[in-house]
Amino acid sequence: MMKLSLVFENIALNLRGGDGRVSMLTQTTLLFFLLTLTLTSTSIQRYLTENLDQMLGSDMVLESHSPLDDVTQKSLSELVDNVSRTRLMGITLTFKDRWERVQLKLVDSAYPLQGELTVGETQASPPLPAEKGPIIGEIWLGPRLATKLGARVGDTLTLGGRPLQVSRIIFHEPDRILEGHSVAMRAMVHEDTASNLPLGSSNERFRYLLSADQQQQQKIEAWAKEALPGATLIKKYGGQHPLAGFWKRTENFLGLASVILFFMAAVALDMTNRRWLANMRYRLAIYTSFGTPLRTGITMAGAEWLITFLISLFFAVFIAGFSHSLIIAELQSYFPGLEGEWQLTRALKTVGLVFLLLLALQVPSFIQLRHASLLSLIRSGSESSYVWQRLLWGVSAVTLLAAAYSDNLLLTAMTLAAIIAALAFMIALTWLVLWLGDHWGRRRTGLLPFAFFIMRQRLFAKSAQIMGLGLCGLLLLFTLMLMKDLGGMMESYGRTHDGNLLVSEAQADQIDAIHDWANDTGSQVRQLRPFVSAQLVMINGVSLADYLQTPSDTMTTLQKPIRLSWTDDMPANNRLMGGTWWQNHTDNWQQISTEPEVMTDMRLSYGDQLTYLIDGRSYEFTLVASHAYQPGGGSITFWFQVPGSARSQIVAPTRYMGSMELPETAWDKLAGLWQRYPTLSLVPMKELTERFDRTLGVVTKVTNGYAGMVLLLSLFVLAASVSGYRADDRQKNGLLMSMGLKPADCLWLNFYDWGISALIAATGAVVGTWIAGVLIYDAQFGLNYNPDMLWILGTLTAMVTVVCLVGYIACRGSLRVSVRDLLAS
Amino acid sequence: MQNKIELTRIRHYFDTTTERIELFRNLSQTIISGESLAIVGPSGAGKSSLLSIAAGLEIPSEGDIRFTIGGKQVDALAMRANSGFIFQQFHLMPELDAIGNLALPLRLKGDPNAFDKAADWLSKVDLKDRARHHPHQLSGGEQQRIAVARAFVSTPRFIFADEPTGNLDARTSEGVTDLMFDCARETSCGLVIVTHSKRLALKADKSLRLESGLLELVA
Repeated sequence: MMKLSLVFENIALNLRGGDGRVSMLTQTTLLFFLLTLTLTSTSIQRYLTENLDQMLGSDMVLESHSPLDDVTQKSLSELVDNVSRTRLMGITLTFKDRWERVQLKLVDSAYPLQGELTVGETQASPPLPAEKGPIIGEIWLGPRLATKLGARVGDTLTLGGRPLQVSRIIFHEPDRILEGHSVAMRAMVHEDTASNLPLGSSNERFRYLLSADQQQQQKIEAWAKEALPGATLIKKYGGQHPLAGFWKRTENFLGLASVILFFMAAVALDMTNRRWLANMRYRLAIYTSFGTPLRTGITMAGAEWLITFLISLFFAVFIAGFSHSLIIAELQSYFPGLEGEWQLTRALKTVGLVFLLLLALQVPSFIQLRHASLLSLIRSGSESSYVWQRLLWGVSAVTLLAAAYSDNLLLTAMTLAAIIAALAFMIALTWLVLWLGDHWGRRRTGLLPFAFFIMRQRLFAKSAQIMGLGLCGLLLLFTLMLMKDLGGMMESYGRTHDGNLLVSEAQADQIDAIHDWANDTGSQVRQLRPFVSAQLVMINGVSLADYLQTPSDTMTTLQKPIRLSWTDDMPANNRLMGGTWWQNHTDNWQQISTEPEVMTDMRLSYGDQLTYLIDGRSYEFTLVASHAYQPGGGSITFWFQVPGSARSQIVAPTRYMGSMELPETAWDKLAGLWQRYPTLSLVPMKELTERFDRTLGVVTKVTNGYAGMVLLLSLFVLAASVSGYRADDRQKNGLLMSMGLKPADCLWLNFYDWGISALIAATGAVVGTWIAGVLIYDAQFGLNYNPDMLWILGTLTAMVTVVCLVGYIACRGSLRVSVRDLLAS
Repeated sequence: MQNKIELTRIRHYFDTTTERIELFRNLSQTIISGESLAIVGPSGAGKSSLLSIAAGLEIPSEGDIRFTIGGKQVDALAMRANSGFIFQQFHLMPELDAIGNLALPLRLKGDPNAFDKAADWLSKVDLKDRARHHPHQLSGGEQQRIAVARAFVSTPRFIFADEPTGNLDARTSEGVTDLMFDCARETSCGLVIVTHSKRLALKADKSLRLESGLLELVA
């Protein structure tokens, strides 16, 4: 009990000092951020799971991008109690002179198998349950769609030349959850209504809602793996559905943010640890002088650290709980009915991870404590090259976190590579500048040569301080630069985009009509590239699901059909990144090229065999090259490209995507084109800009929050840097003043010291940012890295000024004390 | 119960990059609790190293060292648990006040009456009114009196003092010296002092001079 009260007393004493406070604040902030993230994501996951239970519309859903043939459908029917088939496609609906892109759902008479379908007479009327979907000849519209089109119940719409009567406003479909985060306008018709209409698009989806018990579900899973390799199975209790996927990606992005934040926290903690270690070694040496075993002292130090962590945790939990409820309130507009809930296991897992990582950072200090000795009180010893040990542990700890958190291996590896390269650069620069400075100043008098001499004597401590400041600067600079450039890119997207109307999908028989319409309206067709819809099902004979277990954005995209294009020459907006591009008119048509990011994320190598399912048939290609997008020459590019000769071997309808430039007068005539070709998918740039603005809004919110956290931790690093080295500076100043130096001279000396440190750190930060920019910009964000030199110089100056200013304030504070006090300290 | 430290044929040296510096050789001495021993000699003779070896903090380069506590032979770790130290630089905990510093050894040993005992010792060293003062608010002599009391408060079998009056003026030194010897007598512990002060050395039961690697009894 006595020892425990002593431990608490020591904690209170530690917290009275600047180092203790900064250290605790940093821990609390990190815990708060990661806990908030965990709590929020857990609440959303839980919400999604519960909604899935109530809203899937069946026990199981089988989704494919082509209809099942009669034999397969019969086999499926034999495996389950009931089946309902739905079909989804993107079309354009017109009413009078208005048009809207719509997600049209075609349902059969059995729909829905489970759950509730609710409809109304008007958008404002109370929702009423409906047992079945619309009958033949009728159409149900989503409330937003009805408003946008200005259509009411009783009105008649035209779909592919067929009149359809609006009979209900549809509020809720039980399988709505499968649409995930989609904000698409919705409409529903009976499948027989559309039986003779020219509908069909590459992104069509067929969903088979199934009633099946547990045993039947297992049988279906086994059967589907063999019979339908391209199909996806969604179970009530599988936890795999689109919203979860969307959230997972957001979570992964924040995971990377956590890695960077953790790095910042590690720097701040490392700086405060330096003083903590010195104090603790002294304390333990004194303890041993009155017979306390060193083991007891180290145990007490461990207990102090643990209790401080628990206090941080207490505050972090409290603040995270509060923030969590605020964020949940904000997210309720995206996830209606979402409730903030505490998931103890998940929260404990996060706390456990942070605990282990903080412990990893603390381990070098505890190892050093073992060397605390009573002898040091009798004769002073020197500090060993402990900085390397700290660096090694720090980097290992962060790598561990990166591995646990991030899903984008390439991005994580690039970030870590940039950080490590910047650290190596800063170490080399520090040593070089101080060595050269000292060498230069050897035969010179004055304060600057003396500053170099003193700094070189404290080389290890200086290196650690400079690396900390530099790393903090690098992360801050990179965050701000990425925020600025990403925002700039998104805002200018509309202006730099090739053409003002994107042809996101057109069928072969619509191409002539598009050209005719363009001629009639004075529009220009800028680009049209052919493609077939293809789904990657196997890599080297192994099914996609079994090939790679690690989730990634690429993997998520490849689970759905992608657009496979063909070309003999390298397109003008692509450049060869590796491998060998095929010869013109080659007979060897089974060759394929992909983007480097896909290769990295999917761990592909040249020579790998990729099997695609195209319109129900399998095609095998050998990976021979990789290509990347380069600006100019149009904006349409494809992840996968094959030789032109492949086209004649593939049996599938050709579709096109491209861009057009419309004069102002042509916009009003678009409705006519759509009325004739409802499946023609044209996306006006106005709409695209709106979408980008919305996305930009979300991205800005996330990055602003993230930048706020980075800024906060930067302040901690700066505070830790000043606080951690204050004692050294006080002692140095005291000694210098005792030798007759004036306070003004001491200020100058400190100014040189901080200025040189800040300059090296800032140069390191800029170089690190440059490395990160070159590595990450193009590969991950499709941006060209063209650093604005003025902006960089401005930021560099600001950083050096802030650091020097803080150093000056700290120095002035220490100079106010008398020489006697300084010496006593 | 006998408590003693036996040094037999001790030799100690350390190597630098260019040469070996030998501090002493063939040195034997027994230190018994209840007895005070002063070690004098010029700077650099190895007095502090001898003290460290006797206290079990350092292992001699050659020779044997045996610690006996309560009649039983013990290792250096157990020896240290029964020792106290007084330093030239006082080494009080700057963040603790006088009574906090004094109570610290007792609290670490789990004594529930630590503060009461510390208060008694404060009275004993005439610093009762300074109980709530921190080290930087005390004079050097006062700090060393607290340090002396702190070394004795947990009644160790041996006290090792390294230049305990080295930082004090003659008058204050005398006060601290008297205090140390009084406390040692009162607690019957062995007191080993390394000092340059002849006055202090003369107060010890036995005084040894370490010079040129040899240890000789001062008359």
